[in-house]
Amino acid sequence: MSAPDTHTPSPAGLEPGSFRDPESRVFYAGDEVYRALSPDGLADFEALAESGLLEDERLVHTEQAGDGAPALHDVLVHKPAAVLRHERIPFVSYPYEWTFSMLKDAALVQLDLLLAALDRDLVLKDSTPYNVQFKGARPVFVDIGSFERLREGEPWVGYRQFCMLYLYPLLLLSLKGVPFQPWLRGSIDGITPSQMRGLLSFRDRFRRGIFTNVFLHARLERRYADRPDQVKEEVRRVFKKELFVANVRKMRRLVERLDWNPPEGVWTAYGERNTYTDDDARRKDDFVREVARSRDWGLVWDIGCNNGRYSRIAAEGARTVVALDADQGPVELLYRDLRAEGDERILPLTMNLADPSPGLGWRGLERRSPADRGKPDLVLALALVHHMSISANVPVRELVDWFASLGSALVVEFPTREDPMVRKLLAPKREGLHPDYELDFFERSLGEAFEVERSERLESGTRVLYFARPKRG
Amino acid sequence: MTIVLAYLDPGSGSMILQIIAGGLAAVAVTAKLYWRRLMKFLRIRKDEPETANPADTARGTDSG
Repeated sequence: MSAPDTHTPSPAGLEPGSFRDPESRVFYAGDEVYRALSPDGLADFEALAESGLLEDERLVHTEQAGDGAPALHDVLVHKPAAVLRHERIPFVSYPYEWTFSMLKDAALVQLDLLLAALDRDLVLKDSTPYNVQFKGARPVFVDIGSFERLREGEPWVGYRQFCMLYLYPLLLLSLKGVPFQPWLRGSIDGITPSQMRGLLSFRDRFRRGIFTNVFLHARLERRYADRPDQVKEEVRRVFKKELFVANVRKMRRLVERLDWNPPEGVWTAYGERNTYTDDDARRKDDFVREVARSRDWGLVWDIGCNNGRYSRIAAEGARTVVALDADQGPVELLYRDLRAEGDERILPLTMNLADPSPGLGWRGLERRSPADRGKPDLVLALALVHHMSISANVPVRELVDWFASLGSALVVEFPTREDPMVRKLLAPKREGLHPDYELDFFERSLGEAFEVERSERLESGTRVLYFARPKRG
Repeated sequence: MTIVLAYLDPGSGSMILQIIAGGLAAVAVTAKLYWRRLMKFLRIRKDEPETANPADTARGTDSG
């Protein structure tokens, strides 16, 4: 078989994750992001534009594409009535890569926009966190097609979806201490009411909002499952906008109170960010800074970002830095700091490189792997190789091959076998394991795929830094 | 007109729940109002300015 062509999302530049709503569809042409609208979709968009809400800074910047719009006739069932052009989000991320506060902030944006919409006789037709993206630490609502005109007697159609993809995942971590990310990655639709009920104890039903949104919800769902027509008509007769607004406000208060904090040890380690005093740390800073400033790096990935120390340095010379760490704790704290600073350049995400986000959804293309969303120009892999090689058992050469497959420049740190951290990781392992974890073998592997431009052994002598560029061809 | 035209299935139970939840909110607000009135009547609680809006949850938004 030839090389996989997963980088071409789907024929004619269609966004493979945008097919559920028949009134609008996202596609790409050149570097631009467009959205084709059906006649109904256009009428909804015009209502949104007229309401003034389109100018809200929480919405992705959007304009009518006009005459210059690419003609894509088979995007929708019928000929599109109009085409919109959207601002491009630097790096797409998914809720199963977000931390608790990121999902919570996205939920609040969703609810606040819904309230703002209702105020203008509009509504959001769904409530999925995939409609929210992050520009650095700022959530942005990207699904302009989600706004539509409110119909008389219509209930909150997205309520169930809100529970499944926002409320339940947040409750899972907040009440049970169970990370929601594997659950969201495991199911594109989230956690159902009956599944959530099964995860809660008897005592939980007395907590605020739980009885109604989980226990009663699951029970009613089972009871009315086979009577959708009857129910819809009844609901339509009695449902009022006031009730809608009251329910959304109540949900907002519930979500606002939800809380989660990383364990004590994470705070301590995170707090040490600015207290490095040793020479090693200073020289490492300088090394990274020099590379970061050597040119205008577009997209940087900082893999194993921990408290974001090097992401921040990299941001001095990059448009966007994606800061990745397998541990949600430090990423959560980094997000909170970046949010407080109003940062829009560093995107903190939680992801385990040894088990990264795969392609998911319909055809495995709706949600994409990180490299399919935009290859980096520079990768930082500091204090990472030993964890990957020793803890996750990834052979050194495989790791270097993977770096090379990204086609980007690389700053990588190799801690030798004498390094205290490496000794600690090797301690529980059988003697003689990881024979490939040797400095000269690493250097040979690196040299096969990369042109090493600079290297520096840090003062302590157990850590070596490299700046390398990929070999051409 | 046909009934709700959404591409997303709102779920029958989920719709019923919204009515019940809304109903409970209305009952709670009414009860709170009467409780305050009773407290005022018994002079346990001092008069509050009428601008305070305890019926927040049950009111629509008609401001522009």
